Parts: sequence; structure tokens; C-alpha cells
Amino acid sequence: MNGKNLLINLLFYLPDAALAVVVLSSEFWDDPHAIQIFLVYLLYLFLRIIIHVYFYFSQIVQSKNYIIKLIASFTKGKYAVAGREGFSNSLFSDVISNIFEAGRYFENLVGTQNDEIEKFRELYYNIVLTANSYFLVLDSKNEIIFSNKSFNSAFNFTNDELMQMRFSDAFYITAGRLIDAIENVRVHGESIILRQVRLLSRKKISIIADIKISRITVQGEYQLILVIDDITSKCRKDYQISLISQISESIQKDSEIDRILFGILTSVTSGSGLGFNRAMLFLHNPETHKLYGKIAVGPDSFEEAIQIWGSVQNDDRTLLQSIEAPFINLNKGINFYRQVTEKSFSVDEDTIFTRAFHERKSIHIYDSYNDPRVNEEIRKFMDVAEFVIVPLSAGNKSIGLVIADNKYNKAPIYNDHLELLSIFAVQAALSLDSFNSLDSVKQQMEKIQSRQDAIVESEKMAAVGRIAAHIAHEIRNPLVTVGGYARRILQLLKKPMKTTEPVEKCANVILQESERLEKILSNVMDFSRPSPLIKEYNSLNDVVTDTCSLLNNVFQEKKISVTLNLSKKLPLVKSDFNQLKQVILNLIQNAMDVTPAGGEINIETSRESDKLVIRVRDTGSGIDEDNLAKIFEPFFTSKVTGVGLGLAVCKKIISDHNGDIYVRNREDRQGAEFTIELPAPT
Amino acid sequence: MHKILLVEDEQHQRELYATELEEEGYEVEQAGNGKEAVEKVKTSKYDLVILDIRMPEMDGIEALGKILSRDKKIPIIIHTAYSNYKSNFMTWTADAYVTKTTNIEELKNKITEILASRAR
Repeated sequence: MNGKNLLINLLFYLPDAALAVVVLSSEFWDDPHAIQIFLVYLLYLFLRIIIHVYFYFSQIVQSKNYIIKLIASFTKGKYAVAGREGFSNSLFSDVISNIFEAGRYFENLVGTQNDEIEKFRELYYNIVLTANSYFLVLDSKNEIIFSNKSFNSAFNFTNDELMQMRFSDAFYITAGRLIDAIENVRVHGESIILRQVRLLSRKKISIIADIKISRITVQGEYQLILVIDDITSKCRKDYQISLISQISESIQKDSEIDRILFGILTSVTSGSGLGFNRAMLFLHNPETHKLYGKIAVGPDSFEEAIQIWGSVQNDDRTLLQSIEAPFINLNKGINFYRQVTEKSFSVDEDTIFTRAFHERKSIHIYDSYNDPRVNEEIRKFMDVAEFVIVPLSAGNKSIGLVIADNKYNKAPIYNDHLELLSIFAVQAALSLDSFNSLDSVKQQMEKIQSRQDAIVESEKMAAVGRIAAHIAHEIRNPLVTVGGYARRILQLLKKPMKTTEPVEKCANVILQESERLEKILSNVMDFSRPSPLIKEYNSLNDVVTDTCSLLNNVFQEKKISVTLNLSKKLPLVKSDFNQLKQVILNLIQNAMDVTPAGGEINIETSRESDKLVIRVRDTGSGIDEDNLAKIFEPFFTSKVTGVGLGLAVCKKIISDHNGDIYVRNREDRQGAEFTIELPAPT
Repeated sequence: MHKILLVEDEQHQRELYATELEEEGYEVEQAGNGKEAVEKVKTSKYDLVILDIRMPEMDGIEALGKILSRDKKIPIIIHTAYSNYKSNFMTWTADAYVTKTTNIEELKNKITEILASRAR
């Protein structure tokens, strides 16, 4: 309490003090009216107290109301409040004056800060509003409470339309992952970036975007910020490049033409490709002078379009996969497909299609309903205002047309779309053309192959004929003998016989000749139906020595000397022992047949790099140069007798062992040298 | 008694024909191949030669030439299991071409026929 107030209070209470002194003096109570005067004084004091209490109370209430008002304006950020003058004399004027001082101080402080904040706010606001990225803020009910200008113009919304619109009312929600991501961010608060999401607005504008979703807290409420980056054109270019390489790759991979065509159209209609709603391909048949609807990709209706886009979004299949797993969505757009593939146009008529075809230039129709170039048939067939016709030309000739439109989202076709489609059509045409060339080469190859097959077949028949002729040849003599002796027996039986000996002799001959017949036949059978190989690890040296020991008597009888030069370092070879013996036996027998008495047969085994080699040399007359090539053919024989299968059998067995057998005439002296090469074990 | 040279590499056939021809009253000498036949013709005189074609060492065609160069008038019957040698003109120089069958009668008839015509 300051001095001034003390003085006032002092003055105010001075009469009271004086009265108190009077009352407490002893003389006062001597007055007979003292008690009355005292009672009146008490009454006066009481009234004063009442008045004071009232006075203070009313001031407190008034101040309290004012302070409440002050706090209220403080919370609103207003610190300088008018109307404090009325309190200048109040009990609380000091307090209130202090509060006002503080308020003014804050007012100054905040005022300068506010300018700064306002500047930043404006800056951010401008950035957000005009940034190329699209900004959306969703409140807790997924209603849009903010969007920037880029968003509005890209999706053709006005700000008023958007405010408080639910997100799902602004877009067709086809991507499950977008919904999941929004819910995830709202619940867990962790930002999520979604790559390559296709957004389709209710106004049928579609883009491919990377979307970043973040959560912010505003006044205790979770809000979501969606930053949407439009990557449509980037995607499209990337996709187009990969597309072309994938298509040509798929052609090299021997895909069917339909798959390639389907791939071409899928890429034209795929969102990240060219993004047309529908595409159809007509191919020219030069024989009929007609353009035939070959293939079509696109939905039958807008609802189907939404479904297709949804499914494409949900799995990131590449074009190659869609080529390899063709007709993914063929259950969609089946009517459209049918409608196109049943359609044909004559190239001799003058229509907008044939003009694009003959002049080999793209035509962009903006309003087919009012464009005089479009005839009624095409108008009805297309049933859409805007479409583009792009020729497929390879080299100097047109081979077809691609026609594309945005029938369902009615998005305008921009020049860059058309340009891309044209570039793409060139690539597609080249691919198609190279496929056709490849195909015709293949057809030629097939023809040649079938001719070859026919030749092989006739060779086989000829071989069968040779076998038949050969068998006939070989069995003729034994048959004549058998028949002759059978007749002989009949003759003998006509006359009385002293002994059965002559008949027995005849029967024996018949028996022997029959056995000979059997042998001839089994020899032929063995060749045509070889027994399965039994491969074990064998020593080639054993094969040679075993075979020679079989023939030792024959060598002596024929006065042929046999020398063996066997390498001791040969590894064992996985082979069929008996079959290899058969080979060596055949070679030795051949050698014996041509080697005169006193001649020599030499057999050598050796290892030469990665091959194991057996050489059989004779000192016979050698082989005519003409016959060197034919010698291993079945039924080739230079001998008067002989089936002509020996060397053919050798060849067959050796090739069954992945080896090689060949013959040449010796250089050191007269005679032949047969060489067998078998792969050495690794 | 006519003397016949039977040239045949098939031993069983040769024995059968020899037996049967001997029973017909001919004197039969045997040769197993062309070479033997040519040797025999050099040393003995025969009224008729029965000549097989497919034989080891020397075949009938070669033997035919050699026999004829030695004795142009000797009757020769080609007797073979195969008819295709008819296209070889050498066989035309023979007096007859008989294809072997189970039945030997044709050969016997040919022999009788040729010997009879020579006797005239």
C-alpha cells in the first residue's frame, strides 16, 4: 500500500479514532444519555461496515469479469485490450495496470513475430499452392480440407467442390494398397511412399503417381498430407523403351504372332505405356485387298475399365509376362474383341482408314460426329468422338493400322500421345515385319525339312528295299539247296533202299542250310534291332586280346601273322565289352578276307590327347578311293559273299559309344587302316 | 559218256548236282571256284561246263572268259541263283542261262538239248 492510500485511509478513519478516545474516557459514561449515544454510534459503525463491504465486493466482481475478458482475449492472441480506463481508481488498478503492461509487452513481441510468421506462411502457401506436386490434406474423416492449385487444375476440380469432399468421392478407389497405406499412416503415424499408383479421378482423369502420405497432428486431431508426384510421362517413356526391347525379344523367342500382336496392343493401352482406353489392330491382306481386324484390347464398358485398371494396378506384371501369359483380360472386353475381329474394311474404298493406310500418315479425328472425313460406317463402328489412326508400315509398304481412343475416360488425346503412338507403331511394324520374314523363313525351313524328311523316308524305304533284296539274295542259295535236297529225299524214297544213309545225309544238309538261313536272318535282325548297351569300365587291350585269342586257329590256318602294339597306360573306358569285341572281330575278319597268306594284321592301342585309339591295319589290297566314303554304309560290300553289314554294325556300335570310326589306305605300304576313336574318360 | 565240269562254290549243291548228273550217266568233275575250273580246263577236255557266277577267288564271269579264250567251242551253261547276271553281256557268250531252282530237271533238259545239238 502506497503513502497516498495510507493518508486517505488515515483521514477516513480519524473521526472514528477520535470518537473511540471520547468513548473510552470515564467522563463520557457519566452522561445519562451515554448509553443511547453509544448505541447510535454502534449503529453508525455497523452501517459503514455494510457500505464498505458492498463497495469492495462490487469492485471485486467487476475486476474479476474484466480479468476473465482479458484472459479470453489473451488466449486469442490479443494482448492490447481497450477499456481499462474505468479501473484507474479501483482497488485493483495497480494489478490491472501491471497486467496491461505485460499485455502490451507481449503485444509488441507477438506483433513482430507475427510479421515473420505471416511472411513464412505466405511463402509456404505459395510453394504448396503452386508446386508441381499435388498436395492434399485429409482430416480425420478422410475429407479433403486442403488442396493446392496444381491438384485442382490437374484433376479439374474447383476448390469449393473439393472442400469437405471425401477422398473416395474424389477418386475411384481401385488400388487396395492406397487405402491400406492411408489407414496405416493414420494409425501408426509412419510416413509411407507408394510407387506408381494409378489414380483415376471421378472426373475420369487418370495419372500414374508416386504418393507420399504423412501424418500431422493439428489441435489434437490427426490429419494426413498426401504429396502426389505425377510420373505418368516418365513412366510412359521408360515403359515404352523397355516395351520395344521386350517385344523384339519376344519375337526372337519364337512367340506366336497373336501373342506379339496382343503384346503390342496391351502396351498401347497399358497405363504406363500409352494409356489409351482402347486399341485395335488391323492387318492388310494383299490377296483380298482388305484390312482385317486382327486383335483388340480394351474394356466393353466404363465399369469394366475400372476393374481392369484396378487389376493391372494390383500386380506389377511386366509386358513380357503379359505377352507370355496372353489374353489376361480377355474375359474383359470380349464384345469389343469380337466386334473388331469380325470387322474388315476394303482398302479400295476411300475412307479415313484407307487414307491413313495408303498415305502412311497418322490421322487425328477430334470430333467424328461432325467430321466430314469420317463416314457413317466408321462413325458407327468407333462410336467415339475423338480417336487416332496410325499406320503400321514396314519399309515402303503399309502392313496395317493401329486405331486408339479414350472412349471411356474421354481424356483428350494430346499430340505427344500421338507421337509416341506413331513411334511405337513404327517399332511394332518392324517387329511384325521381321516376324513375318522370320515366319516365311521358318516356313521355307519347314518345307525344306519336310522335303528332307521325305528324302530320309525314301532312303529308309530304299534301305528296306536293299535289305529285302539283300536277304533275298543271301537266302536264295541256301533255299535252293534245301529244296534240292528235299526233292532228293523224295526221289530216294521212291526206290527201295538198302540203307537210310543217303536220306540222312540229305536231311543233314537241309539242317545245315537251315541253320545258315537262320544266321543270315539273325545277322540282319541284330543290325536293325540292336540290344541295349551294357556299359561297364573295360580295358580296350582286353577287348583286343580276347578277340584275337578267339581267332588264333583261323590265323594259323590262313597263315596270317598278327602283331599287337598295346599301350600299357590306357585308362578303363565305360563301354559294352561284347559290342566292342564285335567291332574288333568284324574288323579282323575283314582284314583276313583281304589279306593273302603270309600277310600281316597289326593292331595298336594308344592314347592321343583326349581320345583312346584302336588301329587295325592289314596288308591287303587297300580300298578303292571311291569306296572309302561308302564303306560304312549298310549293305555295302566288295566281297563276292558277305552281307555288307559288318562295318555298318561297327559304325553303329562306335557311335553308340560317342566315338568315331574311319578308314584310310596306308601310306607306308599297301593295305587299309581302320581307326577307332573313343573319348577318354575325364 | 559225256564229261561235264561242274563249277559251284556251294558244296552241298555241288554234291547234289554231281550225284544226280552221275545218275543220268554223265561223268562229272567238280570245281569249287572259277580258278579251279580254269585250271581243270587247261588239263582236261570236257564236253560241257556248268558254271556258277558268284564264287570266291574267281567268279563265273571271269572264268567264262578264260575258258572261252582257251576253247571257243566248249558248251557252257550258266547256272546261278540270280537272274540279274543276264544283263552282263559276257553271259551272252554262254550257250544257256539257267536260274537255279529246287527242281534240277530244267538243268538236265538243257544239258541233253545242248549235247544233242552239238552231236549233230
